[in-house]
Amino acid sequence: MTSLWPEHLDGIVEEFKDCFDSMERYELLFDYAKNNPNPLPIEEWTEENQILGCQSRAHVICSLDEGGLFLLKAGADAQIVQGLMSITAIAVNGLEPIEVSKLTPAYVEEMGLKAALSPNRANGFLNMFNRVVKEAKILSETYDD
Amino acid sequence: MLDIKAIRADFPILDRVLPNGKNLVYFDNAATSQKPQCVIDAMSNFYENYNSNAHRSNHTLADEASSALENARNQISNFFGAKPENMIYTSGATEAINLVSYGWAKNNLDNGDVIVITEMEHHADIVPWQELSKEKGVEVRYVPINNETFMLDMEAFEIALDGAALVCVTHTSNVLGIRNPIEKIIKISKAKNCKVLIDCAQGAPHEKINFETLGADFLAISAHKMAGPTGIGCLLTSNERIQEMGPFMTGGSMIKKVTTDGSTFKDGHEMFETGTPRIAEAIGWGAAVGWLEQFNMEDIHNHVHEIAAYAGKEMIKIPGIKIFGDPTNKDSSGAVSFLHETIQSQDLALLLDQGGYAVRTGHHCAQPLMDALGVPSTNRASFWIYNTQEEVEGFITHLKYICERFA
Repeated sequence: MTSLWPEHLDGIVEEFKDCFDSMERYELLFDYAKNNPNPLPIEEWTEENQILGCQSRAHVICSLDEGGLFLLKAGADAQIVQGLMSITAIAVNGLEPIEVSKLTPAYVEEMGLKAALSPNRANGFLNMFNRVVKEAKILSETYDD
Repeated sequence: MLDIKAIRADFPILDRVLPNGKNLVYFDNAATSQKPQCVIDAMSNFYENYNSNAHRSNHTLADEASSALENARNQISNFFGAKPENMIYTSGATEAINLVSYGWAKNNLDNGDVIVITEMEHHADIVPWQELSKEKGVEVRYVPINNETFMLDMEAFEIALDGAALVCVTHTSNVLGIRNPIEKIIKISKAKNCKVLIDCAQGAPHEKINFETLGADFLAISAHKMAGPTGIGCLLTSNERIQEMGPFMTGGSMIKKVTTDGSTFKDGHEMFETGTPRIAEAIGWGAAVGWLEQFNMEDIHNHVHEIAAYAGKEMIKIPGIKIFGDPTNKDSSGAVSFLHETIQSQDLALLLDQGGYAVRTGHHCAQPLMDALGVPSTNRASFWIYNTQEEVEGFITHLKYICERFA
């Protein structure tokens, strides 16, 4: 990961930048929400993996796959949060956890969805993103051991 | 008749263009209202010309600041038909209710006493009583709403009153926009010798509240929902109740004398206003009340009701939209809560924001009401004096567009 986000995310970022207006961007985001590559089924939503402070219900599980690489599963009832987490999963899954721990949400701003990065406590995505980065740091320390 | 165009000209923020190029349409008035220029100017003038602490030093600025603070108290208490000596400045309605809990109820209620509240209360009028219950063993009874009419179940209320010592009810629901029959609630509660607290945070921007005429023991009010600044509100009470109250917070300003052996406290409202007062905020609130006094509050209510009723009638025609409350009821405030059956409320709010429409989303600090309604959250459009029929028409068009494209 040499730039602000993993290179394999460039195509998605461009796809959003090419949208005509914000409504088209959100429509595209709804599509990503429906096609989450690593969904967290609702049966696995627990208090332990719930993101507190969200207006919507949002849950994440961060783990390492068999090869010791990062695996994010996320679920949210708000499609906008779910869509952003789908894209985040595409970004981080398969990376070294140490790389994920250094990720910033710059790609979201570049996609024209800056509102998702507001520090508003009601903001679902930012709370989820921060949790992913925090858990990646913990996993990277575990992995180093 | 209100001249809405002239009224809008008093609010500079209503000309705001959002980062996406859309004009702001502000429908989040039940969360906080916008502020007219005269309020902004009054607060700036204080800081620019006579900023000083109040009721402490003996110089010109200190006298001017103290006079302005007390003049605002006179103006605000007069607006609400209360005595200035029985008006206690607080940070808002939440602190006012906590003041009743910690300052009055803690000293006057005991194990086994009953407090009656309702399912439609804001958390500010629930949590303080739950905490008091834990500390003192008082019983908290919840009066349900009727899920068909969204009105308070008055039969259940009368039953709950049996043996009650204190009744705490919201004037107007911040979620449903329903205006409770508070005159009746006060009358039957007083007939049973109950003390009554009315949370007027949502009611004060919509009708003329008069403490003396209502006859309640306590009224809690926030400035920021009625054109005033954030960070200030008040508790209005009576001669009898204020004498039964003990200090809530202690420290500077509220003492008669402090020695190493202990302290004695001032009487009346001064006992409850410890620390440096919210001087600029009080001045701003006074200016807001002065601004509101140019209107008949009934005209404001009628204008808001007209556009809220129109919004409700049009929204319900959109497939998938459900409304919680009855905006066509002539007593309802301007709050219209709604949900779409498939578009999640946070998504809907963000999509409305793309059109420039600011609405509230979430549980509205009323989770017991959400439980009673069987939903985790709602969207809420809430209107006030400066909103127009044209804004509502644009909102309906944008809402329809979202529902067609994203449902």
